[in-house]
Amino acid sequence: MVELKDVSVTYSSGVDALEHVSLKINDGDFAFVVGASGAGKSTLIKLLLKEIEATSGSVTVNGYQLAALKKKQIPQLRRTIGIVFQDFRLISSMTVYENIAFVMRVIDAPPKTIRKRVPYVMRLVGLQEKAASYPRELSGGELQRVAIARALVNDPKLIIADEPTGNIDPELSYEIVDLLRTINMQGTTVMMVTHEHELVKRFGGRIINIDKGQIVFDDIMEGTDYEV
Amino acid sequence: MKFSGVRYLLEQGVENIWKNRMMAFASFCVLLVSLLLVGTTVLAYQNISSIVGSVESQNEIIIYMQEDTDTDTLGRTETLLQEVPNVAEVRFYSKEEEYLALKERMADYDVLFDALGDDNPLVDSFRIKIQDITQMNKTISQIQQIDNILRINAPYEFVSFLTQLRTILSWVMGALIAAMVIVSMVIISNTTKASVYARREEIQIMKYVGATDAFIRVPFFIEGMITGFFAGCAALVITWLVYDALVRMIENQVTLLNVIGLGSIIHFNAIYQYAVLAYLLGGALISAAGSAFSTRKYINV
Repeated sequence: MVELKDVSVTYSSGVDALEHVSLKINDGDFAFVVGASGAGKSTLIKLLLKEIEATSGSVTVNGYQLAALKKKQIPQLRRTIGIVFQDFRLISSMTVYENIAFVMRVIDAPPKTIRKRVPYVMRLVGLQEKAASYPRELSGGELQRVAIARALVNDPKLIIADEPTGNIDPELSYEIVDLLRTINMQGTTVMMVTHEHELVKRFGGRIINIDKGQIVFDDIMEGTDYEV
Repeated sequence: MKFSGVRYLLEQGVENIWKNRMMAFASFCVLLVSLLLVGTTVLAYQNISSIVGSVESQNEIIIYMQEDTDTDTLGRTETLLQEVPNVAEVRFYSKEEEYLALKERMADYDVLFDALGDDNPLVDSFRIKIQDITQMNKTISQIQQIDNILRINAPYEFVSFLTQLRTILSWVMGALIAAMVIVSMVIISNTTKASVYARREEIQIMKYVGATDAFIRVPFFIEGMITGFFAGCAALVITWLVYDALVRMIENQVTLLNVIGLGSIIHFNAIYQYAVLAYLLGGALISAAGSAFSTRKYINV
């Protein structure tokens, strides 16, 4: 669950990135966060990952009150979140399997669990054949599916996808959103940040529109291709 | 953390060396050069110190006894001299022996000795060596308290020169060693920073997926330690071979050895335990700490 209450973020340069934002994404929700470049989407993600602090207001993520969270506890918070980046951010020197497995090693998961869970997640994203491949050998869509598998492997409560379709073809974009929808249907909360309005219109669902640091729209819309 | 987790981190440390072998090799070379710079400077200082010490130890204080001092008094004086702190060695020279030796040395001046007849103009004397030459004045004051001493001859000027030389050497070599250590640290720090910079994305990804700082740092630490250890080994072998060859070369120079004193050159065998410890431990720890600290900048995500 994500809850922001009257949150503002002002950077040291004086730029107001978020202004009095209040927002609640319940467990099991799927929400698109849309907005133009510089609207405040990235700031929102940074805030949820506790990469930056809110200047005022309160932020709660998966039960953690971020203002009260000590630096040492940040890894605990992040282990409840799966993050998918636009530029995939896979480790080039690791195979697909290793890229996914190392996230489980971070949480000190037993080797036996890793050996069971990683192939399962790879099957889920349709990459079981690519276990031994390196990122440089994969297409954009495949890379993003590895990133989603990595975000999913520790069974997080929340997946934040930051422009996950930004670097891939439109057809593959639908596949990626479909995959995120499937994951959501299994109970994981998904917050997908995008500036691709066409994609959002097609899938519909809860849409949160940020403009100049403020939420200007937050409602459920029916998709052209999907039932909400 | 579970055993499997510890094993994973150790394996990562070793694997990372191979995966980032170019940077690891650069770190290895920088460490090797740095260790050699510091090591050879320390060795040079030790040897110069030893040579100065050898020259110092060759200096004697001569104590002339009053004329006609009896044998009992001479024996007591010898005991008293041995009891003076800082006195390392006391040797007695009887006036008869000294007279004969003088005659031998000045064989061409028979006329002079004939004129003296049976008179021996010399007096009995003691020659002493002291442990700490810088304490010479204090030692002489203590000797002066002993009765029946006619005169004390001490190489005041030479000792003062040696003391000054030792002080200057200590400062110069100390500064040189400190400079070498600082230069080495800067170079090592920059190399490890470059190595960590090349993997900053990897560090950031780890942070985003919830890795603790320790989880990120341990492999870098292990990696640095192994690189440093091998650089230390290489530096040790190079120093050993070059130093031994140099010592052999110097020992063949008889004239040079006469000046600096036989035995004043330190053999590697005499110090190898310290060298092994300093090179291996120094290399491993400096490199490990450098690697771990360099991650700090990228860890704060």
